[in-house]
Amino acid sequence: MLLILVLAPFAGSLAAICIPTQKGTAAAWLAGSIALLCLVISAGLYTVISSGTPLRYDAAWLPELGLNLTLRMDGFAWMFASLVAAIGLLVVIYARYYMSASDPVPRFFALFLAFMGAMLGVVLSGNLILLAIFWELTSIISFLLIGYWHHNANARDGARMALTVTGTGGLCMFVGLMLIGHIVGSYDLDVVLSSGNVIRDHPLYTTVLILILLGVLTKSAQFPFHFWLPHAMAAPTPVSAYLHSATLVKAGVFLLTRLWPVMAGTDEWFWIVGLAGLTTLLLGAYFAIFQQDLKGLLAYSTISHLGLITVLLSLGSPLAAVAAIFHTMNHATFKASLFMAAGIIDHETGTRDMRRLSGLFRYMPITATLAMVASASMAGVPLLNGFLSKEMFFAEAIETHKYNILDTLTPYVATIASMFAVTYSIRFIHSVFFGPPPQDLPKVPHEPPHWMLAPIYFLVFSCLVVGVIPALTIGPFLHTAVQSVLGIATPVYSLAVWHGWNLPLFMSLIALVCGVGLFLVMKPYLTTSIEGPPFFRRLEGQRIFERVLVTLSWKWARSIEMRAGTRRLQPQMRILVAVALVAAAVTLLLQGFKPAAIAFRSIDPAFALIWLIGMICAIGAAYQAKFHRLAALVLLGGAGLVTCLTFVWLSAPDLAATQLLVEIVTTVLILLGLRWLPKRIENPDDPELMTISTRLRRLRDLATAVFAGIGMMLISYTVMTRELPETISSYFLERAYSEGGGTNVVNVILVDFRGFDTLGEIAVLCIVALTVFALLLRFRPATESLETPEQQRVQNAFDDDHPDRKKGDSIAEYLLVPSVIMRWMFPVIGMLAAFLFFRGHDLPGGGFAAGIAMSIAFILQYMAGGTRWVEERLRIHPLRWMAIGLLVATATGLGSWLFGYPFLTSHAQYASLPVLGKIPLATAILFDLGVFALVLGATVLILIALAHQSVRAPRAQMRAAKMAAKENA
Amino acid sequence: MSHLTDLPAWAAIPVCILLLLGSGITLIGSLGLIRLKTFYGRLHAPTLGASAGIILICLASMITFAVLQNRWIVHEILIIVFVVVTTPVTLMLLGQSALYRDRIEENDGVPRKAAGQQTDTTGMDI
Repeated sequence: MLLILVLAPFAGSLAAICIPTQKGTAAAWLAGSIALLCLVISAGLYTVISSGTPLRYDAAWLPELGLNLTLRMDGFAWMFASLVAAIGLLVVIYARYYMSASDPVPRFFALFLAFMGAMLGVVLSGNLILLAIFWELTSIISFLLIGYWHHNANARDGARMALTVTGTGGLCMFVGLMLIGHIVGSYDLDVVLSSGNVIRDHPLYTTVLILILLGVLTKSAQFPFHFWLPHAMAAPTPVSAYLHSATLVKAGVFLLTRLWPVMAGTDEWFWIVGLAGLTTLLLGAYFAIFQQDLKGLLAYSTISHLGLITVLLSLGSPLAAVAAIFHTMNHATFKASLFMAAGIIDHETGTRDMRRLSGLFRYMPITATLAMVASASMAGVPLLNGFLSKEMFFAEAIETHKYNILDTLTPYVATIASMFAVTYSIRFIHSVFFGPPPQDLPKVPHEPPHWMLAPIYFLVFSCLVVGVIPALTIGPFLHTAVQSVLGIATPVYSLAVWHGWNLPLFMSLIALVCGVGLFLVMKPYLTTSIEGPPFFRRLEGQRIFERVLVTLSWKWARSIEMRAGTRRLQPQMRILVAVALVAAAVTLLLQGFKPAAIAFRSIDPAFALIWLIGMICAIGAAYQAKFHRLAALVLLGGAGLVTCLTFVWLSAPDLAATQLLVEIVTTVLILLGLRWLPKRIENPDDPELMTISTRLRRLRDLATAVFAGIGMMLISYTVMTRELPETISSYFLERAYSEGGGTNVVNVILVDFRGFDTLGEIAVLCIVALTVFALLLRFRPATESLETPEQQRVQNAFDDDHPDRKKGDSIAEYLLVPSVIMRWMFPVIGMLAAFLFFRGHDLPGGGFAAGIAMSIAFILQYMAGGTRWVEERLRIHPLRWMAIGLLVATATGLGSWLFGYPFLTSHAQYASLPVLGKIPLATAILFDLGVFALVLGATVLILIALAHQSVRAPRAQMRAAKMAAKENA
Repeated sequence: MSHLTDLPAWAAIPVCILLLLGSGITLIGSLGLIRLKTFYGRLHAPTLGASAGIILICLASMITFAVLQNRWIVHEILIIVFVVVTTPVTLMLLGQSALYRDRIEENDGVPRKAAGQQTDTTGMDI
């Protein structure tokens, strides 16, 4: 049942998002029925809960990490869950009439349901981590809800601020909860609740407390994090009504109460929570008086009332906790109804500005009456529920809990804040409903549809009933909730309306009288004043927040980027290599690394000669790299060939074949890229260029390179000369044929034993190819290499001069013989690729080699005919090939599930075909086909990216010419 | 290496002769690449290895493995065909670009195009 309770809203949310935008009513019905279902479920669970034992639902999720899907419902959670569901239902009914048909209503209800689900999750989770997850969910979904009208800049800003503040707080809280889990040794709520002393005595207590309070205070909009709440008023009113009464901001108070038994009672708790609560209580009430926006007033009043609850919780006495829980419920009822009333006023008149509204009583008497009762409850007028919890608050405020200044101040602050509450409540009613009839309102006001008022009827009625006969109505439920929080410490309390002439009553009276007096004094000022309280107007939280954000995310980020970042490749590479060098050197030296002694023994002279050539090539390549790129590339090819030969020499034909093919492709691709590099310096030995700093820089780079190289050599030499430990290679050798169905062990490992690795690798290849493509797509070559090369220009000019020649004739003539040969090679290379592919499973070859071979064929075509020629004749879709490759490989792996084997299990069989005879057919060959297609696609994609550069370049050239012309003009 | 010792003498002798001849010719070609003075001269030297050298070495390989595995081995013919077909293309491209460059830079000792084919009045034909 608990699971249904939490999951039903999410399921409903998914369903609601699928409802077409026009069918708003259907979405409302759906949301309403889900809310009703939740309400019915929680109502049905009451009999179980009221017996005192919490209801639990456990499902193992990540039991190794102590993370289970534990849902737990005790009296307190029950009370909150019912509140969430009940007010949810009322808000849905209200929203059905509030939302206009032009809004995407199903999206609203989808978000609303998701939010309800997240909130129920927070309330019901029996695991701290689960709680944190739902907590973050409420932050995110409230972000979406507040920003529901995302075309409105205020809504976007408000949503972003709410998310930033509550999200940051949530992160801190998450750390705090993890620390609790660390202290207690379990994330289970039951365990945590029973180990209060362990937590309070732990040295990390203060840290935990501060972290969790950061989460709680940001969520509940307590000072100094209160500023986001008024800005969240940009949300549709039903959202505000829901967020402010029963859900989002109450989540903070909920957690505070939840952890009250384990965290409260210490001095730190008292000071931090109490200070925040008192400040919020007073400031919120004070600010509320000066709001001109109806919802703004209610928002600050919410802040103030949350402050009241926080103060109650800070006191650390059980009676205060009772009052806190009671006030949470009362506040939810009257605040939800007030928000709905404000929404109706906004809806029917088109404005929420209290300076423009007046005398609405004659137009909407029912709304006015209901709002008056609700705001009287907010002000704490006797015979309403707000009065009861306020009396309890006063009683607790007078009580001395700790001997310090804060405790002494509490009753005074409480009275003053209460006085402010009376003032803003009267202001709310008076300015809207009384006075002369309103002038030039956007709409002519009238009573809203009957069903829009129904939720308010219900809420106000419950305010009244609870206020008059508390013990009979709310009593038992409150008792269950209180008992689940306080356990055996549950104090004796009385819910009676009349406690006799005592101090709290006097305080109430003082507050009422002074509040009315204050309103009368301030009335003239308030009807004309601008938005915001005097003195504090300038000190706006939002502005500070924005400034902090700008500083953090813009100024500091920029300056860090300026200092630490560079757009040039050389410093990046230098830093990369240097850091790697230092990191390796430090760790190795600290660990006492001793390079193996280099021993020359049994050196084959021929092999040594080959290596000598390779080394000379490599050094030559490095030496020529800066000033003669072509020569460097040729030498690089030489070094690559030597590597190939080494593989052959050491009996690794697979590697050799692949290396050879890769070598060809890279050389050609780099060759193609050379054209776009900036021109080399003509005279490198120019004394003007060879300043001391240049020399020093080169010396430093040389040193870095040499050290890195020597280090690599030492490490690899040491590793390679070690005794080989017991490896699994013998296993592979034995099983390659019996289990993989192939005699080429390398290939069998790639496509079968380590198929999953290969799948990952080809996925990476895919990403790399796409990245290269994307980078080259945005690549703008250096200005000096933008223009057409000299040769092309001369040839084109020649062709242009002769009327009987077309552009490109010269180059075609030059390339006549080569291009014919290259075109003829296409099928041949294709054949070779097929050959490599099919023999792959048993002999050197395989999908990778075949893919590269095939891509060489394509490169040749591009070289022979030019980009346009090829693409007119061949359909080249590397992206599709890559996609198909990845899909085929994955599908092959998934195919084994059909037969009940684990992912990527392969099956080998020999098939006899006519002509060809017996050929091995393992499912791995399909996988290999995927590898083939992907490699081919990736290589050709990079090739195309380079090739298209030259097609694109003329356009860039034209642009550049235009720019130059403009500048000259 | 080990294959040679498995080979019967009647096969080993021609294989050795072919190998030596082939590698000798290739060596001469490589020496020529270093020794010859002009680019156009050098262009010819490596063709020795790419034609005669490769044919002789491939023949040796064919005989060796045909005898050892006691079947006809024809893979090497493919190698010969492809090397013989493709190497000239490379050399041709190299030659043409060198010629092109020399003509552009008007270096000495570069023949102009034949009079009949000349299409450019400046004489700087391309």
